[in-house]
Amino acid sequence: MGVLQALEQRQMLVVTGKGGVGKTTIAAVLGRRLAARGRKVLLLDVDPRESLHHLLDVPPSGGEVVTVAPRLQLQHLDPRRLLDDLVREKLKVGVLVRRVLSSPVHQHFTEGAPGLKETAVFGRALRLIEGHVPRGMVRPDVVILDAPATGHSVAWLAAPRLISEVISSGPIGHMATVIADFMADRVRFGIVVVTAAEEMPVQESLELIDLLDERLQRMPDLVVVNSVYPPLVEESDADDPVGALWAHRRGLNDRELGRLDEHWHGSTAELPLLPLEPGPPLITALADHLEQACERS
Amino acid sequence: MDPRSFPLVIVVGSGGVGKTTLAAALGLASASAGRDTLVMTFDPSQRLKDALGVDAVAAEQETEVPLPAAGRLCASLLDARITFDRLIERYAPDQEARERILRNRFYDNLSGHLAGVLEYMASERLFEVARDGAHERIILDTPPTRQALDFLGAPERIVSFLDSGALRIALKPWFDAGGQLRATSHLGALGRNVEGFFDRMVGLELLRDMAEFFQAFSPLYDGFRERAVEVQRLLRAPGTLFVLVSAPGRQRVADTLFFARRLTEAGYRLGPVVINRVHPAFPAAGSGTSSLDEAAHDGRELLHWLGKRDRESVSALQSLLGGSRPLVEVPLLPDEPTDLESLSALGVMLGERLDDALGS
Repeated sequence: MGVLQALEQRQMLVVTGKGGVGKTTIAAVLGRRLAARGRKVLLLDVDPRESLHHLLDVPPSGGEVVTVAPRLQLQHLDPRRLLDDLVREKLKVGVLVRRVLSSPVHQHFTEGAPGLKETAVFGRALRLIEGHVPRGMVRPDVVILDAPATGHSVAWLAAPRLISEVISSGPIGHMATVIADFMADRVRFGIVVVTAAEEMPVQESLELIDLLDERLQRMPDLVVVNSVYPPLVEESDADDPVGALWAHRRGLNDRELGRLDEHWHGSTAELPLLPLEPGPPLITALADHLEQACERS
Repeated sequence: MDPRSFPLVIVVGSGGVGKTTLAAALGLASASAGRDTLVMTFDPSQRLKDALGVDAVAAEQETEVPLPAAGRLCASLLDARITFDRLIERYAPDQEARERILRNRFYDNLSGHLAGVLEYMASERLFEVARDGAHERIILDTPPTRQALDFLGAPERIVSFLDSGALRIALKPWFDAGGQLRATSHLGALGRNVEGFFDRMVGLELLRDMAEFFQAFSPLYDGFRERAVEVQRLLRAPGTLFVLVSAPGRQRVADTLFFARRLTEAGYRLGPVVINRVHPAFPAAGSGTSSLDEAAHDGRELLHWLGKRDRESVSALQSLLGGSRPLVEVPLLPDEPTDLESLSALGVMLGERLDDALGS
């Protein structure tokens, strides 16, 4: 089974990677590709500064559901608001809700308790998959979650497991356990790691893969290597600075691709560096390249 | 004024722009110009660590970088957990209090996983080294997060937390001798409901851990507040300069403007903006009308486009930042610097350009 066929089986895909490698771009590309293959896709953006909509040329979500294409929707989530919603839902009585929401204990607890906000995001994604969708949203076959660009992506992915271990009872503990079990399901849940063929991103991706294995006993479904220079077609000439720079950058890419290949034996898709600023034309072009790259891999 | 006189330089910017390398390069240049310098950094690549000749030991203590020429440079790698543990070692009133915190399950999870802790601990470390005054100059690389402003806000958040009612409530003995939650008992029936809610939501077990953690931690609070205030003063001191690092591309330009605005609004002294890894401008390769597909196979077309894009980014950034904020360009280097020599050359170039920009 090809990589894209495997990704099509998933109900939730987390796209993760170091900042600056084009993680959000790849989330949008995957969304486009899977929607084109007939899946109903929801892209979830949790970056406090919304950015996914720029890439797809739709207005910012501001928490609402935005339809990008017939099978592609987008929503921005504020984790803090999800937790407040949870309080409203569980507590029901207005005066109690206000009391809890305005209590400094609640505010600092939800801000400070490790893993709570992350768990709330996964919890919402899972509910959407199960069909608890807000008005105006098509029930998604697959939710693609663009992970926040921080140095803590494993901590982010491990949050539900951590919460389920720390909080063993109550609805939050129960929810965390359900999510942790879901994330252990290799058919329903998948991880895509995005990197660039440069030293730091490759190094961090290899470390990320080790940590995923160690802490979640999971491997990525796919490693996307973004922004690769075209292969050389000619010997470079010493008097030709453009050709020399091309050869040099491609050489660096080859070296790092080799290093990745040495340590990572799963699926890899190389995507070219294209002369386009981030936006719909880039997403469309990369979606085609992804299809081809996955066929090759 | 002499732009080299800043005793504290803080390098900020979004992930992947090359902050860490530039911070290390500036440190080297500063040391070889005769200033005793400390570079504090997060997450340096193995190659940069190799270049600086430091290893994991630098996470525990400042490590001197073996320089070929005169000058003194120290490097310090920031690790949230180690800093947190050390803080407790140092400020806990006695051995028992120390043990209680270090054994606490909540602390164990908090210190290792909570994102904001890294930022807060960085400011704690900054306070320590600035107070020790062992260096003439400190160059601080900020955490690898798009929300680099979290770092700057961390001390203020701690103060607001300490000043809020949360602490008073947290410090109140939550559990009576029988192990029953009593924090909300004075609220009567309503209190029991709230208590029941917390119990159902998270379980008493976690609350017990949290209460114990806050209580064990209480002797440290006054110190926390004092240091947080000191760090804020230090960050806004006249001798502190923020260097914002950017990179070409539309998204980066937008991010940079956002940072620049937030920094100045918050009252920090923002110096020049550095645009890193600018491609050289090459003449168009062929007809200039090649299709996207052709360009995907032709590195010449691609490099021509990158050169053009980068020129556009530079002028867009310059005009959006306004005439008063100097922009400093750093060209794309064929390779990331891998040894002291190349790092130092980069540092000298950047230092000179920053000086020019600050002097103008």
